Amino acid sequence: MDFKTILGRAKRGLREELRLYLVAVSSLAVAFLCVAGVLLAVTNLSAVAERWGRSGRMSVYLRDGAQPDDVTRLRVVLEGMREVESVEQLTSEDARRQFLEHSDVEADLAALPPEVFPASLEVSLAEGTSVQRVASISERIGSLRAVDDVETYRGWFDRLDGLLSAGRGIAGVLALLVALCVLAVIGNTIRLAVARRREEIEVMKLCGATDGFVRGPFVMEGTFQGFASALVAVLVLLLGFALLRGHLDASLAALSGTHVAFLQPWMLVALVLGGAAIGALGSALSLRRYLTV
Amino acid sequence: MARDPDSKVVRPFAFFRAGVQSDPSAARRPILVFEDVYKYFRRDQPTLRGVNLTIERGEFAFVTGPSGAGKSTLLQLVYRKHTVDTGRILFCGKDVARLKPKSIPYLRRNLGIVFQDFKVVRHWTVYENVAVALEILAMPKRLVRSRVAEALERVGLAGRGSERTENLSGGEQQRVAVARAIVTEPALILADEPTGNLDPHLAIDILTLFEEINATGTTVLFATHDHSLIAKRDHRIIGIDEGRVVEARTGLRSWPGAEERAASDPASGLHAVAG
Repeated sequence: MDFKTILGRAKRGLREELRLYLVAVSSLAVAFLCVAGVLLAVTNLSAVAERWGRSGRMSVYLRDGAQPDDVTRLRVVLEGMREVESVEQLTSEDARRQFLEHSDVEADLAALPPEVFPASLEVSLAEGTSVQRVASISERIGSLRAVDDVETYRGWFDRLDGLLSAGRGIAGVLALLVALCVLAVIGNTIRLAVARRREEIEVMKLCGATDGFVRGPFVMEGTFQGFASALVAVLVLLLGFALLRGHLDASLAALSGTHVAFLQPWMLVALVLGGAAIGALGSALSLRRYLTV
Repeated sequence: MARDPDSKVVRPFAFFRAGVQSDPSAARRPILVFEDVYKYFRRDQPTLRGVNLTIERGEFAFVTGPSGAGKSTLLQLVYRKHTVDTGRILFCGKDVARLKPKSIPYLRRNLGIVFQDFKVVRHWTVYENVAVALEILAMPKRLVRSRVAEALERVGLAGRGSERTENLSGGEQQRVAVARAIVTEPALILADEPTGNLDPHLAIDILTLFEEINATGTTVLFATHDHSLIAKRDHRIIGIDEGRVVEARTGLRSWPGAEERAASDPASGLHAVAG
């Protein structure tokens, strides 16, 4: 049987069982929406993690009353390192001004004296500097006399990384559950359709139809259900994203300096094609025992 | 009726599996041979016991006997709904019992099967019900259209292809089933009580239709328990009783015990013939 005939018969099947398939597609779309939503969250968290990881910053806090000679020596040491791109010195006054510029806090804190904010050297590291190397630089610098403390921001990054790993795990488990759910729903829908079209299958088998001829349109219908469900989920997610983007963008930009992004095109394609493939598999598996005439 | 010359182009289908060459000597053999066939559905009570039977090409044969005698089983073994337990069934010289499941569709493409309950898809149109047999053969649409139109004309349903089958009468639905059975021009038609759900007048119409099909050279095996129908024709009769075959060559006149049965059971239909 050629593809055109399979498609024609599948179209007729979809038309005849339209209500049944609409119910199945809407249930499956909700399941796919959950997966797509988690994927979207993971994608944006990854972007934040990447931004933070890539930023390669280090703040070297100076001791109160550190001697200018010691600070100069420290700068020389830092600037002599291959990984260091630039070193900017912030006095207590500069640190206070920056804090007040970038924070939303009101007048109470504006009254704080400059001494509350430690002077520092803001070190910008070359992209791709390894975590181990950053730790080694931090250890070396930390032992110098003018240095009070070194902040590499690894703590934040590690926490975000943990969050991301958890998110990825949840996405994986959810994807597996959704795959099983899609298999079950499509399998049952096709079984119902087969039961309603038993007469048709019997006629075809008695006329000499091969299992492939009988199975083809049902597999196509299952494929379509999976495809349509995933597509509907993606479209609903896109709509929700478009509506909420403004609010999300402001929050994320303030938090991490990144903008919210939708799923990558390859993810969308994988989601829709994955839905179609699971749909095909579900219907093929459910048909095996109904072909004996 | 003038044949579309194109219809010769796609004259079917390798017998067992696509690509397998058919045996030219098969044309000289009987179309169907049963050799000592046994079929058990219960261990202690065979449905068919040692059936030996030969059906020649172009024959029209009634298969008759009481309900439960094994008529339908005999036909079902031919189209491999069931498999023989012992013995052989040779169709065109090939043992159908030895066919692998994948080859069964190719066997069925050489058979036309008609049932008592019509087995038409009621929500399909008449055209779709007949065309399905050709679509299975992947025949081009243009050919399908002409072959279906021709088959519908042969069964007296010309021009009614677009009607939904559920709107037709029982007799018309059975004609649709017959059209589907003949549209592929099979070598053998198996009719399993095709008049069982029809009133006597329509039953005669359908029987006549099968005879017309037989007149074009198609072998017909017509299972029925309706003696009144058999009595009206003088075809070969294959009687089955308790799984055994009792044969008569020339209608009910030579049926074993016909005289006695007609005397004891006037309703059997034997009376008119035997008398």
